[in-house]
Amino acid sequence: MSNDILLSAKNIRKSYYIGTPNELEILHGIDLDIHKGEFVSIVGQSGSGKSTLMNILGILDRQTSGEYILDGIDISKAPNKALSALRNKHIGFVFQTYNLIARTDAIANVEMPMLYAGVPEKQRRKRAIELLKMVGMEERMHHTPDELSGGQKQRVAIARAMANDPDIILADEPTGALDSGTGRLVMDIFHELHEKQGKTIVLITHSNELAAETPRIVTISDGNIIAEKKMA
Amino acid sequence: MIKENCKLALLSIKANKMRAFLTMLGIIIGVAAVIAIMTVGNSMTNGVQKQLESYGVQNITIYVNPIDYNQELSEADYQTMKITPETLHKLANQFKGKISAISVEASAGSGTVIKDANKANVDITGVSAGYFKANNIKLKGGNLFNEFAYEQGKNTAIVADKFAEQLFGVNYSLDDVLGKEFEVNINDEYMNITVIGVYEYQQSGSMMRGSNKNISTSVYIPLKTAWNYSHDETIFDATVVAAEGQDPVALSTEIKTYLTDVMANTLGDKFYIDAYSNQTMIQENTKTMNQMTLAISMIAAIALIVGGIGVMNIMTVSITERTKEIGTRKALGAPDGMIMLQFISEAIIICLIGGVIGIVVGLLLGNIAAHFMGYTPEVSIASIYMSVGFSMAIGVFFGYSPAKHAANMNPIDALRYE
Repeated sequence: MSNDILLSAKNIRKSYYIGTPNELEILHGIDLDIHKGEFVSIVGQSGSGKSTLMNILGILDRQTSGEYILDGIDISKAPNKALSALRNKHIGFVFQTYNLIARTDAIANVEMPMLYAGVPEKQRRKRAIELLKMVGMEERMHHTPDELSGGQKQRVAIARAMANDPDIILADEPTGALDSGTGRLVMDIFHELHEKQGKTIVLITHSNELAAETPRIVTISDGNIIAEKKMA
Repeated sequence: MIKENCKLALLSIKANKMRAFLTMLGIIIGVAAVIAIMTVGNSMTNGVQKQLESYGVQNITIYVNPIDYNQELSEADYQTMKITPETLHKLANQFKGKISAISVEASAGSGTVIKDANKANVDITGVSAGYFKANNIKLKGGNLFNEFAYEQGKNTAIVADKFAEQLFGVNYSLDDVLGKEFEVNINDEYMNITVIGVYEYQQSGSMMRGSNKNISTSVYIPLKTAWNYSHDETIFDATVVAAEGQDPVALSTEIKTYLTDVMANTLGDKFYIDAYSNQTMIQENTKTMNQMTLAISMIAAIALIVGGIGVMNIMTVSITERTKEIGTRKALGAPDGMIMLQFISEAIIICLIGGVIGIVVGLLLGNIAAHFMGYTPEVSIASIYMSVGFSMAIGVFFGYSPAKHAANMNPIDALRYE
């Protein structure tokens, strides 16, 4: 199992207002390994530090101390300028509020990560259409976000997260803004991606119910991992 | 990548049409002002240049000037200032082959000619044989003066076609005036002239305004006739026409040197003789007018700077509004350079569209203004290139700072922005 570790976080700490008397430590030394092909949920209450951990795992933020290795790359040593390219190649984000680019249709939104990766236009378009078909959005690929429902937006966001075939998909409360029926649909897509394509998915949620759907549950509270549960 | 950035920029402009238009307005006004001023300036420069050229590009004017303009001159001094016919003869002999004509003119006064109910205002001008060549006067009918008329001071005259039109109406014929005698009233003194030739009247550009009827035309008579009439044989200046192929500027220097030598005794220490080529005057005039146009255009360009500040302001607002979008793009892997390029492209496109509209508006205004000022509109192509370049430069310059701010945003802060 140790050979196919995709992501390894060792003693990750994150503090704000470093060096001042009001220094606040959010993460108190997180140790977490995620293997290729795993579907892990990180569950915790609001303010537990799960989003801070996701930001560090997603290379959107840097840890104050500790070591973070992603696909063999020591992220803590990577220069700031290289972080965009690392995110682009290795990570696909799905946000609670979808974060689709307004005024830009679904297909252009899905093409965006490929555009930043320098994929030629024709190839980008072909791949974007495939991905939108995969999430059942081929009928609405030329619609802008304000013409889509919440569930449709999230499906476009999942297609976008898959654009560069990343090593890992980080989904931050992906059903948080959806009704239960639509949320179910979105979760089914994640399960399909995991089961059929072997995608590594990290689901950040405060819902124990959703977390229970994933084979591995990491519970975080007050900046510490307090429990880990693996399904047989 | 540039194509995508342009597409994004156009989308963003389309999404905020009114705001984009108001931002462009500053650029439109600035560019239009520069283009309009440069078009009017160019039209004026070319109009004046053509007018000066019509006086003869090969012409060199020679005249005596006091060294010190402030000194009081006596009657005797004025006699010294004259150029004598002998001096002009010497000049013609010395520069034979280099000079094609020497023109001298003397006014015999202004007056009117009345024929039935019609009236023509005239300026009676005595001229030497070289006058017609120096002033590019073309005959429509009849003849120029012969040697005999010049020597004897005959009362023969060459009048303008306009003169005939004023007296005989638009349907005049040359025979109405050719060979006919007319009485000119000059301050209640009468001079009889017999018309032997009719020349083509040239309206001198925008300088000549007023009604057609009141236009005063020149009636040319032999120089000696004018002298006899005015009892004054003074020549203060003369025009020398440089022969074909001669450089008038270089020749003017040679003539000046020669005349300074020949007239050394008469000029004394109070006067000097100058020979000034029309070519030099045209060049200096064009240079001055171009400098003036440029100076006024630069003042107009201040509007462009103000417009640029407007672009910067809107870009800053736009970036603040789109902070979350910037965060998302960064999360998706957009490098800082591309974020920067996206917003600079937007600023450039706003400025370019504004610039193009400004050029159209400027050309329209410039052409209308030049037309109403009486000049043939001349568009300055350089000003169009300059405006397009300047608009783009403003986009880059004023878009850079907000774009840099966007590029340097921390993705996590940008994503959290509400």
